[in-house]
Amino acid sequence: MTGIRSISRRRFLGTGALGSAAALTTRGLEQVLAAEAHRQGKHVILLWLAGGASQLETWDPKPGRPTGGPFQAISTNVPGIQISELMPRMARHLQHTAIIRSLNTKDGDHGGASRLMHLGRRDEPTVKFPDLGAIIARELGRTDSQVPDYVSFYTATEGRGTSLGQSGFLGARYNAMSLTQEQLPANLRRLEQISEIDHRARGELRDTLSDQFMRGRESAAAASQREAYQRVPGLMASEKLFDPSGEPLSMRALYGETLFGQQTLVARRLVEAGVPFVKVSRAWWDSHGQNFETHLELVSELDQVLDALLTDLQQRGLLERTLVITLSEFGRTPAINASLGRDHFATVWSCSLSGCGILGGSVYGKSDDDGNDVAESPVAAGELFATIFQAMGIDHRKEYALGARPVPLTNPGSEPIKAVLA
Amino acid sequence: MVSRVIIGCLLCTCALFQVGPSRAQELSTTVLPDPELTIGAAIDQLIGERLARAGLEPAPLAGELNLLRRTTLDLAGRIPTAREAREYLESNAPDKRRELIEQLLGSPEFVAHQVNLLDALLMQSRRSSLRDYLERAVTENRSWDRMFREMIVGEPGDGEQSGAIQFLRSRISDIDRLTNDVSVIFFGVNISCAQCHDHPLVHDWTQDHFFGMKAFFYRSFENGGFVGEREYGELEYKTVAGESRKAGLMFLSGSRLPESEVAEPSEDQRKQEKAQLEELKKQKQPPPTASYSRKARLVDVGLESENATYFARAIVNRIWQRLIGRGLVHPVDQLHRGNPASHPELLDWLARDLMHHGYDLRRLIGGIVSSDTYARSGIWESASRPPAELHAVAILRPLLPQQYAASLALAAFDPEQLNSPDAPKKIQARVQFSRGFADWFELPGDEFQVGSEESLLLSNSDRAARELFADGNETLVARLRACSDIASAVDLAGWNVLNRPLADAERRILTEYLQQRQDRLAEGYRQMVWAMMTSAECRFNY
Repeated sequence: MTGIRSISRRRFLGTGALGSAAALTTRGLEQVLAAEAHRQGKHVILLWLAGGASQLETWDPKPGRPTGGPFQAISTNVPGIQISELMPRMARHLQHTAIIRSLNTKDGDHGGASRLMHLGRRDEPTVKFPDLGAIIARELGRTDSQVPDYVSFYTATEGRGTSLGQSGFLGARYNAMSLTQEQLPANLRRLEQISEIDHRARGELRDTLSDQFMRGRESAAAASQREAYQRVPGLMASEKLFDPSGEPLSMRALYGETLFGQQTLVARRLVEAGVPFVKVSRAWWDSHGQNFETHLELVSELDQVLDALLTDLQQRGLLERTLVITLSEFGRTPAINASLGRDHFATVWSCSLSGCGILGGSVYGKSDDDGNDVAESPVAAGELFATIFQAMGIDHRKEYALGARPVPLTNPGSEPIKAVLA
Repeated sequence: MVSRVIIGCLLCTCALFQVGPSRAQELSTTVLPDPELTIGAAIDQLIGERLARAGLEPAPLAGELNLLRRTTLDLAGRIPTAREAREYLESNAPDKRRELIEQLLGSPEFVAHQVNLLDALLMQSRRSSLRDYLERAVTENRSWDRMFREMIVGEPGDGEQSGAIQFLRSRISDIDRLTNDVSVIFFGVNISCAQCHDHPLVHDWTQDHFFGMKAFFYRSFENGGFVGEREYGELEYKTVAGESRKAGLMFLSGSRLPESEVAEPSEDQRKQEKAQLEELKKQKQPPPTASYSRKARLVDVGLESENATYFARAIVNRIWQRLIGRGLVHPVDQLHRGNPASHPELLDWLARDLMHHGYDLRRLIGGIVSSDTYARSGIWESASRPPAELHAVAILRPLLPQQYAASLALAAFDPEQLNSPDAPKKIQARVQFSRGFADWFELPGDEFQVGSEESLLLSNSDRAARELFADGNETLVARLRACSDIASAVDLAGWNVLNRPLADAERRILTEYLQQRQDRLAEGYRQMVWAMMTSAECRFNY
């Protein structure tokens, strides 16, 4: 089945009733299809730095200032942009990267902030919002996809309740396939007691019985059940994607023999096979004590992983269709505490966006000299999310219908940051 | 407090456009059908009138076994057993449907299922401690208004706060959420948007409504895990225009409740109160009760004649949604003028009937399932299927997690085991056992979609294979193997899993499937059972 046809089946014959009707009435069919085709084959890899990475030891160094700490700033391949000396390899990729240095998200609590930076907005008592991965999965995923739409490598440290993927009102269809330490998602592997042929035949028998039953009946929920079973063989076949041993040793070494490195390599394998959204978490950045030792270790690892990922994606021609994000729940205080640590800080901190849809070599926003406040252009979570959607060719104003209530992808008033978009 | 409201406001996602008011929210002015009608007759009359206006002939009644399955799932929370299905089909009793309904309504299984449903409604995903209370209340068939009072005010003599008050206790740390939960659950009104500004879509709900409702709970507080209530304290909030306002008690209908002014306590009194509460915390004792309780006033005013229509309509609408598949007002938390009911007279008739009969939920449920509207077939033969809200044809409903789990557990069970006099006990034990895997499935909301987590789990998990598709003692698969031939095994599987005789086409497909697996027939049976149990027919209430 071609991409367009799969789109039209999903959008217009209605397994997912949310939002599609609105799209049809306000824009012409052709326009919708064109926009859909444009989005096809795009991906997001979110490198989630759980616990809160320090902006001062990554994207926004303050060498020589009282808050600067021991590390220096280095020049990059984009004249005028400096980053921490802990990221010498990343310094070669700035032509594909935008740095945002003025996130002001106001929430310094791990739980709440982490939810905020996954949802792009604050929780509301009665609405379960979908997170970034679920929205990307819904907007970029294909009904007939043979691979998962949303894969999340989370770490036990970051807390299941706060950071585990949430599909919210989009429903279980867009739940993340989640992995912690284990190499494989649950239930992907066929049990030994059934042969491959019987496994497939059994699934076909199930479909046949269900199709008979559905004659004269109609239900989007039943259609989604059929789809869920039809995806089983494809999802099972994607098992091999989760095994990095298929990669040459040199490639594995490029990413580094760490869990984070190997999971990021798997993330690349997944997007190459068509998975729209992969989150890889690295924990635990929460350096209340010994901030500099912690960051020496973690930023160096991140530097290697980012370098490997951006190089690899570029060599495969995937970078222009893949957005790589580094993000935390918040940054760290410029003030250095008595344990040589930095504490939670959401007033002014940084993140990076590389690849798809991004204006490389750009820096947006500014912290003041000591990094205590935003000096220019504060950015809220909603604006960051609107920017991410825009970079992927998704209209951030698009609305899902939650009962009688229209829920836009980002809160009203959140506009994308044009200055970092290609 | 004020700053929190402002922050909430900036982030609220309500779209800012307005919809004009349409019909009046008060009980409809048109004359309702005779209150002496049975519930079923009133439903069929009013649903029928709208169908007639639309020039539609409804679908015929569903077949006997279809109805048996539907009703057993709705009242007992599980599929019927093969034996129950056969006996029902063979019975010549002229009034067997009514007898079935009565028997199910009186069964312990009804209580258990009703507890599950109420628990899901009232406690949502909270780690529930309301089940003990619900079990008592449903067993006695306590009236819904009494349960409401007990959940907000507490049961008399429950000094430990271990009963109904857990509803409130589990929410006391977040009064905003408590306010909205109470409004949604008991009155069908979601006012969360109005927290920040007048509701953008609904003229009925303004900031005054949210804070007027919140004021009822504003004096309630948590102390050492217990709920207490003060006799002073005024709620203030900032309007969108930045004006500071005092929020007096105001019910959703707009009725304001006057109160005499209460002086704020002095510094000394506050200190004293604090010390006393600290002491009670240490002793793990609940705080003293207020002699004047605002939350008790909410219950009083909410159950006053005019306002009670909200309360009655909200629960009627939820039960209708559960049994029929779509609320008379849809979605169920949007009971307001801008979102009229599909059948306003029916909603009002049922609400009035509920009020006149002591808020007896069991009676209401029995009445709805006795109607022809409930009993329609889900199959629509001709080309264009009428809109769901006309109820010309039954709506396919996804099973709730416990319903699906219990049904799978029974479907996988050896039917011979249920031919003994202690069958009810064994059924109960199977249902109990199925609780262990009910959390495999998602609680369906509007727009429910089955995810690949479910299909992968039932396809490949070792546990599912062991507990549902195994070939050991007391399993269906073992019984199928013991059948004399493939044909009788196929028939037996049909009765056990799908609760009906198979159609010829199905029999042919399944027999062929098994014949191709003569060399591994046990495997073939397991696969057939799997295919039936994961089929749409087994996953939904049709």
